[in-house]
Amino acid sequence: MPFLQNLSNALVLASTYVLMAAGLTMVYGVLKVLHIAHAAVYTIGAFIGLLVFSWLGNFWLALLVAMIGSGIVGVIIYRTTYYYMLDAPRIVPLITSIGLFVMLTDLLQKGFLMGPYQRAFPAGGAGMPRIRTSFISITPKQMLVLVVTIVLMTLVYLLLTRTRIGLGWQAASMDRDMAAAVGVNLNRVVALNFFLGSALAGAGGVLVGVYNNSVFATMGDLVSYKAFIIIVLGGMGSLPGVIVASVLLAIVENFMVAWVGYVLPRDAIAFLVLILMLMFRPHGLLGKE
Amino acid sequence: MFNGYVITIAVFVGIWVSLALSLNILVGYAGQISLGHAAFFGIGAYTSAVMTVRYGQSFWAGLLAAILITGIVGAILGLPSLRVRHDFLVLATMGVNFVVVAVFKYVDFFGGAMGIVNLPAPSLFGVSFRGGALYMALVWLYAGFVLLISWYLSKTWAGLALNTVRIDEDAAAAVGVSVPRFKIYAFAISAALAGGAGSFYAHFIGSVFPDTFAFVESIAILSMVIIGGVGTLRGPIFGAILLKSAPEFLRFAQDYRFTIYGALLVLMMLFQPSGLLGDDSWLWTLGKRIFRRPAASMQAEEAS
Amino acid sequence: MTELRVEHVSKRFGGLQALQDVSLQTEGEILGLIGPNGAGKTTLFNIISGFLPPTSGTITYDGRALHKQHPHQIVRLGIARTFQIIKPFGDLSVLENVLSGIGMPVYPSARALFQRYRTSATLKQAHAILAQTDLQDWAQAPAANLPIGLQRRLEIARALATRPHLLLLDEPAAGLTTHEAEDLALLIRSLHAQGIDIIVIEHNMSFAMNLCERIVVLAQGQIIANDTPAVIQQDERVINAYLGQEEADVAHS
Repeated sequence: MPFLQNLSNALVLASTYVLMAAGLTMVYGVLKVLHIAHAAVYTIGAFIGLLVFSWLGNFWLALLVAMIGSGIVGVIIYRTTYYYMLDAPRIVPLITSIGLFVMLTDLLQKGFLMGPYQRAFPAGGAGMPRIRTSFISITPKQMLVLVVTIVLMTLVYLLLTRTRIGLGWQAASMDRDMAAAVGVNLNRVVALNFFLGSALAGAGGVLVGVYNNSVFATMGDLVSYKAFIIIVLGGMGSLPGVIVASVLLAIVENFMVAWVGYVLPRDAIAFLVLILMLMFRPHGLLGKE
Repeated sequence: MFNGYVITIAVFVGIWVSLALSLNILVGYAGQISLGHAAFFGIGAYTSAVMTVRYGQSFWAGLLAAILITGIVGAILGLPSLRVRHDFLVLATMGVNFVVVAVFKYVDFFGGAMGIVNLPAPSLFGVSFRGGALYMALVWLYAGFVLLISWYLSKTWAGLALNTVRIDEDAAAAVGVSVPRFKIYAFAISAALAGGAGSFYAHFIGSVFPDTFAFVESIAILSMVIIGGVGTLRGPIFGAILLKSAPEFLRFAQDYRFTIYGALLVLMMLFQPSGLLGDDSWLWTLGKRIFRRPAASMQAEEAS
Repeated sequence: MTELRVEHVSKRFGGLQALQDVSLQTEGEILGLIGPNGAGKTTLFNIISGFLPPTSGTITYDGRALHKQHPHQIVRLGIARTFQIIKPFGDLSVLENVLSGIGMPVYPSARALFQRYRTSATLKQAHAILAQTDLQDWAQAPAANLPIGLQRRLEIARALATRPHLLLLDEPAAGLTTHEAEDLALLIRSLHAQGIDIIVIEHNMSFAMNLCERIVVLAQGQIIANDTPAVIQQDERVINAYLGQEEADVAHS
C-alpha cells in the first residue's frame, strides 16, 4: 500500500515541522516577532544532543539535556535582545533576528564548534519497536520521531490550557497590554514561551539528527524556511493551526515528490507556494481578516 | 600607483557601494525591508552574461539590458509588497531570492551550476578596460551615478511620496499618493540600479555562478545599509566601504565575516538603530559638533 | 453645485452590522455627524473616503461613483479627510507634511519622478496654508515634536493642501482645550466661508451644536435623526440613544 506508506512518511516529516514551527508561532503569538534565529536554536539542540550522546551513550538523557540546553539558549536570546525591543518599531526586532541567525549559523560552522562537515548521530531507534503489517511498515526511527513529538505536544498542550502560566500565555497572545493590565507577569510568560519553544526546536533538532543520522551547522536553515511557510499557512500564532499546516505541507511535499516529480527543486517550489500564500491568503488557510 | 590587488578591492567596494545605495532606495526611502536584493544583483549579472556570451553583444549593450530587464523584473517581483507588509515581505523577498537562484541553477539556458564563463571586457574606441585602473574608474563612475539618482530622487515628488508611504500608508493615500504605484517605482529603480552593479561585477570576474547571488549576499547588502545608516546617502556608502574592505585587510574579519555582520546588526539594533552614521547616531552628532561651522551647517542640513 | 450623495449604504463586518441603509447628502453646509460610541461614524467616513468598501449601497460625488475608487483617487475628486487617530508624517517637518498634500496632482504622472518638490511656487502655497492654520512658527519642526493639539491642526492643514471641495473631519476637537476648540471652530467656519463643504464627526455635543448648520445622528449603524441643531436637541430618540449610552457606560464602569 504505497498510499499508507507515503502517509506515514509524511507524518514523520510533519512531526519535525511541528516541533520547529511550534516555537516560532508561540513567539510570534506573544511578541509579534518573526524569530528567524530559531533555526540556529534547532541546530544547537541537535549539537548538544549529539555531544551528550557520544559522551554517555544514552539517547533519552541526550534528548533531555538538549531540550534544556536549547531552552536556555532561547531564554538568553530573549533576555539579551528582544526584551529591550518590545516597544520599538517592528523592523528593529526583525533585523535583530536576522543578525542573530547569521551570526549563530556562521559561528556554528567554525572548527571549535561543529565545523563545516556532517557528523553521524547513531542513536538508532532508541529501543522503539518496529511495526510491520501487510499495509504499513514503521521503522523504529520513525516510531521514535512520532512518539516523542506526540508526547511533547501533548505536554505543551496541557501546560498551556491547564496551568496558570499557560492561561497567562494565552491571554498575552491575544492582547499583550491587556494581559499585563489584568496582572499577567509578562516577563515570566514570555521567558517561558521562549524556553518551551526553543526546547521543542532542540528536540526537533535531535530527532532529525538521529533520523537522518546526520548533524551539521546549517541543518536548521531549510526546516526553518518551511516552518515560516507553516506558520503562515496555520494562521500566525495558532498552535492547532501549526499542526494542521505541518501535516498538510508534509503530505503535499511527499506526494508531490512521489507521484508528480518536478522541474524545479522541491524547496524552490515550497518558496513559490510561500510567496503565493503570502499574496493571496495572508491570514492562513483557515484564518480570515 | 595602484597595484592589482588594491584595484580589485576598489572595484568590489565600488560595486557594493552601488548595491547598498540601490537597496537603500527600497529600505530607507520606501520602508520596504528586502532580503532578496542579491537576486536583482544576479539578474543583472546574468542578463549581461547572456547578452554578451549567448548573443554576442557588447558590454555596453549588456549593461543597458541588465539595467532595463532587472528594473522590469524588479517591478514584477515587487508585487508581493502590495499585499504583504513588514515581516512577511521579508519572507517573500527571501523566497524570491531562492527561486531566482534555483532558476539560474536548474535552467540550462543559464548554464546551470557551471554558470556562464568567458564574458568579454568592456572596450571603447579600441581601448580595453579589462582588470585595470580604467575598469575601477568605470565602476566608481557608476557608483557616482547611483548616488546622483538617489540624491535627486529624494528631492522629487516621488521622493516625498516614498517617505509618506514609509511612515504611514493610510495617511499617504489620504494625500493622494497611490501606495502601490510608488512601491513599484521603488522596487523597479532599486532593482535596476542593482542590475547595473551586477553587470559590472560579471564583466570584472569574467563569469557568473548561481551561488554568488544567494540569500547570504542579500543579508550582507542589507547589513551594509543598516549598519551605515538607513535612509541617508552617507550611511550605505560608509557601510559598504567598511564591511566590504575590512575582510580584505583583516584576516579575522575574513574568517568571521558573517559572524561580524550578524553581531553588528544585533548591536546596532540594541544601541544605535539608526546606524553608525544615521541622523541621530552619536558618531554623526559628534562629527557635526566638531566640524560645525555656522554657515556651513545650514547647508549641510539642507543637503542631507 | 457639487454634492455628496450617500445612498442606502450598509456595511457588515462578519456578524456585526456596522452601518444599515444609511442615506444622506450634503447641501453645501457644515454638516455634523454625531452618535454614541460604535454608532458607525468613522466607518461611514472610511467608506466615503475609499478606505473601506461598502457591503451594499452607492456613494456619488458630483455625479461620479466613489464606492469603487481607491482613497488616493477620491482625494483627486476633491474630498480630503483627517483621521481620528492622527497620522502625521512624524519624521517629516511640518512644512513637508503640507507639501505632501500639495503634490496631490503630480503623484499620478511620471513627472513625480523628475520634478523637485521644493520650488518657490510650492513653498509659497505651503506657507499660505501654514499661515491660515496658524502653524507658520512650526514650519521646520518635525511633526512628531508638535503638541497634540497642533498635530490635529496639522492634519487639517495637510488635508487642505490637497485643495478639497469637501473636507471630512474626524473628531478634530478631541483632546483640545476649550480655548483651542474655539480657535478650531473659527478655522472651520472660515474654511466654509471660502466655499469648502465640511462634514465633521464630533463627540463634544456643544461644539457640534454651535458649529454645524445641520446634524445627522447615527445610532447602532442607522440614521435616527437628520435636522437642525435646535430640532435635534429636542428629539426624543436622540436623547434616548445618548441616555442609553450613558447608562451602558455607567453599567460598564
